[in-house]
Amino acid sequence: MNPVSPLSRRRFLQQSGLATVVAAAPFILPSGLRGQNAPSRKITVGIVGAGNISDSHFGPLLGDPENVRILAVCDVDQERRDDAAARVNRTYGNQDCKAYGDFRELNRRTDIDTVFVCTPDHWHALVAIDAMRNGKDVYVEKPLTLTIHEGRALVAAARKYNRVAQHGTQHRSMKRFHDVAEFVRNQGLGRLERIDCYIPPNNRHVGATWKPEPVPAGLDWDMWLGPAPWRPYTSLGCHYNFRFISESAYGQVTNWGAHYLDIGQWALDMDASGPVEVEGRGEFPSSGLFTNATKVDFTVRYANGVPMHCRTRFEGGGTVRFVGERGWLDISRNRMSASNNDLLREMQAPGKKIQLPLSNNHHENFFACVRSRQRPIADVELGHRTTTVCNLGQIGMVLGRKLRWDPVKEEFVGDEMANRLRGRAMRSPWALT
Amino acid sequence: MCAATASTPAAPAQRNADRKSNAGATPDPWEACVKIEYGGDRSFAWSVREELIATPREGWPQAEERLLKALALPGGTEAGRAFVCQMLAMVGTAKCVPALAALLKDTKFTESARYALEAIPGSEASSALRDGLSVVEGRAKAGVIGSIAVRGDTSARYSLAAIKGNPSEPAIVREAATRALEHLATAKA
Repeated sequence: MNPVSPLSRRRFLQQSGLATVVAAAPFILPSGLRGQNAPSRKITVGIVGAGNISDSHFGPLLGDPENVRILAVCDVDQERRDDAAARVNRTYGNQDCKAYGDFRELNRRTDIDTVFVCTPDHWHALVAIDAMRNGKDVYVEKPLTLTIHEGRALVAAARKYNRVAQHGTQHRSMKRFHDVAEFVRNQGLGRLERIDCYIPPNNRHVGATWKPEPVPAGLDWDMWLGPAPWRPYTSLGCHYNFRFISESAYGQVTNWGAHYLDIGQWALDMDASGPVEVEGRGEFPSSGLFTNATKVDFTVRYANGVPMHCRTRFEGGGTVRFVGERGWLDISRNRMSASNNDLLREMQAPGKKIQLPLSNNHHENFFACVRSRQRPIADVELGHRTTTVCNLGQIGMVLGRKLRWDPVKEEFVGDEMANRLRGRAMRSPWALT
Repeated sequence: MCAATASTPAAPAQRNADRKSNAGATPDPWEACVKIEYGGDRSFAWSVREELIATPREGWPQAEERLLKALALPGGTEAGRAFVCQMLAMVGTAKCVPALAALLKDTKFTESARYALEAIPGSEASSALRDGLSVVEGRAKAGVIGSIAVRGDTSARYSLAAIKGNPSEPAIVREAATRALEHLATAKA
């Protein structure tokens, strides 16, 4: 059963017997010229942000030339965008993929259907909202946004413009995570006692001080910063390492937490809600370039009393463990274990009362929904809710006190300082409007 | 068993003398935090931030007063004043609005002042931002317009409409006004 993964083009063609005909006459037409749902039409893509995480998209998308066509890439670093465009053009054997330094130019192209947002976190909301305003469906890398306010604004934009918007938490499209969440949801572990998430270590120590450096040729530093507060350039605080600076991201809390906490949310049936309490005791550097917690430790608690812990694991990588009265299940990308093998066998048994939507490929699910206009497996509402859990953890650790959270109003109860940390002003001319 | 090698604790009189000799040698973090530099040691700012976070709501007026004193100190750096404004964004009230409104007019600190004003609840901060529309220009003005919209200040609609229709305003400002008006209309709906 797969209520959120409608017919893909390939499956449609196989089932309808049209494969031979269409394969002989591939064509690309912009959305305005043909029905967006037409299965014979390739979905056109623009990728904004050509750094580390974009690699996980270029490969699969370029490997699916029957269904997908990358028409444009954008990065504020000229070398990166040129390399990315060259890679696309090499693969397609033409020069059609254009490189942009400003995402707004890419978003305004009328021949692009979908935009993949692969920028640093502080840009996610603005790039995605602008894309949706311009009629694009979006795939937004995790975490969905930097702040809680940005997340709610992004979801509102998706609904306002009626866009398909997928959050890049691809664990939702991995069967083992699906199976565990479904098993827990069906009380397979009996009464659930707690969830333990472990995330990899955060920023390494780079000293108490740092030196501003000249901006390298080809890098638009002002545009790289975008809505983040101005600071001088340093190579240590730009590509990849941005995630360790709280003006841009919340380190592994949002980088890996967005994946593992997300499965906890799924198993708890909290995709449209969240916890009611958070308490954290993170350790933060008192000086230096990196400002995020060197040791993460927070707990959110749900209305049913179940706590979900999130902690740094210095050895062994990320994982999520569900502990119930019948034992425990521990799952990561690479392995799954249980307190006893019976649990693993039961988990695979068919006929569960509650069946969670199943997707086996996050990209395919997104593109199928672009055609069908259904909500994808990791719709941005649940992406926002998971990212909110990350934010709650961050705020809880920063403030170091127990906070009560109202998941309906999306506000802290009785803590004005915490509420002020749900959002932040953006550097001009950018605004969450 | 070897003998203990730890130094013998100083006698109370010596400890008092040590304390006196150090008195005044350590800067007050609340004064030093406004002088931090980008890339420099930010330990003093960290100390202030930690103290602020631990301050209960009833202690905010005193904390705000100390931040305002820091903001007024000569020799405040760009990074230092930005930090103080970040702290005011967390605990600031109407009391700090006049100082922030003055800072909003200084092109070097417009952004920092706006960050705080956007976060501070109340009509005083809204009014300061609206007044800022006639003070700042260009990109900074677009930022002020954005802050007004995010705060949901519908009383600025007429000013924003005038800006939107003013051909002498740069495109970036008119576009910001257009977005702000759309945002306010949606928020109101």
